[in-house]
Amino acid sequence: MEAPPVTVMPVTGGAINMMEYLLQGSVLDQALESLLHRLRGLCDNMEPETFADHEMVHLLKGQQGQPFLLRARHSLSSPTDPWHLRYLGQPEVGDKSRHALVRNCVDVATSQSLPDFLNEMGFRMDHEFVAKGHIFRKGSMKVVVSKLWRVLVPGNTENTEPLSLSYLVELSVLAPAGQDNVSEDMRSFAEQLKPLVHLEKIDPKKHT
Amino acid sequence: MRLAERYARVSRFPSGFIWVAAVRHGNSGEMQQREEKQLEAATESLISRVAHLKNALQSFIYKLEHEYERLTWPSVLDNFALLSGQLNTINKLLKNEKTPSFRNQVIIPLLLSPDRDEDLAKLTEQRVPVFSHEIVPDHLRTKPDPEVEEQEKQVNAEAARIGPDVAQKQIQTLNKLCSNLLEKLNNPREDRDSENAAMRQNKQSFNPADTNALVAAVGFGKNLSNTMQTKCRPPGPVAPGHPGQGPMMTGGPTLQQVTIGGTPSHQGAIGGPVAPQQPGQPGRGVGRKREARVEYAGLGRKWMFIRCWRV
Repeated sequence: MEAPPVTVMPVTGGAINMMEYLLQGSVLDQALESLLHRLRGLCDNMEPETFADHEMVHLLKGQQGQPFLLRARHSLSSPTDPWHLRYLGQPEVGDKSRHALVRNCVDVATSQSLPDFLNEMGFRMDHEFVAKGHIFRKGSMKVVVSKLWRVLVPGNTENTEPLSLSYLVELSVLAPAGQDNVSEDMRSFAEQLKPLVHLEKIDPKKHT
Repeated sequence: MRLAERYARVSRFPSGFIWVAAVRHGNSGEMQQREEKQLEAATESLISRVAHLKNALQSFIYKLEHEYERLTWPSVLDNFALLSGQLNTINKLLKNEKTPSFRNQVIIPLLLSPDRDEDLAKLTEQRVPVFSHEIVPDHLRTKPDPEVEEQEKQVNAEAARIGPDVAQKQIQTLNKLCSNLLEKLNNPREDRDSENAAMRQNKQSFNPADTNALVAAVGFGKNLSNTMQTKCRPPGPVAPGHPGQGPMMTGGPTLQQVTIGGTPSHQGAIGGPVAPQQPGQPGRGVGRKREARVEYAGLGRKWMFIRCWRV
């Protein structure tokens, strides 16, 4: 069960094929306040929302090639909420002029028994982390400012340590495939956050 | 308070019901007519400007009261700008040389009655239905409130006290500040950006290395794998030159990146019979131990128990 590249065979299933457009950046802890102020002004007027999530990434190793990755996420601040299962495909290697990272995305809400189910299916948990931060929304764009915490003892989300001194800033849009004006809108929004944060498309494979 | 005193407080003229009109200094009939015409024209335009202002204020108040949820700051600023512009035109109109000085004119109430006057009510949109003793002091007043008058006197005394040179210097400083600010705001963006970028070098608000680290962590879990693995590596009787190692090392690039130091800890799961070097996470326990048991059965149970305990 291999994850084919998305341009060859998008994940289908009777629903619209959704793509995630993504821009990422980071901001140091000292500059967080000014970034939050700016986002509160730029984004839709709603109560500032904070979140604390625990995400576990499960791998299924097939016979050959790339393992299949699934992300299981649940909220630590509201434990009764359903779990969230997400599949992210490979980034589309379309034209280089596209400003955002585009990849296939499938989101499913599940019950509390998700980790056991995945274990029974044969997935193994690869890594996990805790993300705590703020979420803002502007139209269909979602801005998430979060701090990543490394889980020291597996399964124990109380015992964590921060991964770095920065907050991760992600600007994402979920849209059906083929809408390129979305990336234009994202780019103009990212312009407004300069020079506090530089949001750009970062290829996750290109690790430094 | 007595009516006479009230009139005395609000008008510059002596109290009482007999009011002296300001006399125009002996002009010829022609000039009087011309002045009258000017006065009329000025009053007309003043009335129309004030009506515009009133309408603008009315719509703004309506918007504030009924549509405040959808109101955005830029539109509030627009409204204020409109009001300020209209006040400006009224000021300009009053300062215009063609406008006769309104200070020289006096309004004399000729008839006060407590009865309702329909014409007046219609004229003032039902705000002044009766032209009586109560509304005259408010509508025809020529002096400001006593408190306001006090404050004005204080400010004037202060201004007279500091002397003309100090005043001049203060005026100059204010002008300089305003012009500096205007220049900064009017200059093209590039100039501003370059000097700001230089200023911000030492106050970087983001660290590109951190960005990469965070993105790698979220993307494929770099530096996030369990620290237990690195600690629980047994000094291992298991030979590193295990024949199974070769294919494990070349397993997809993602797998190698996952673990710290690239040790093949997870890759035991790829092929069942290949035994892992490290015990791995206790959470995965059952499957792994079973594999290990199969492999090392030959070495004897005692060794195996030791190994499980290390987990």
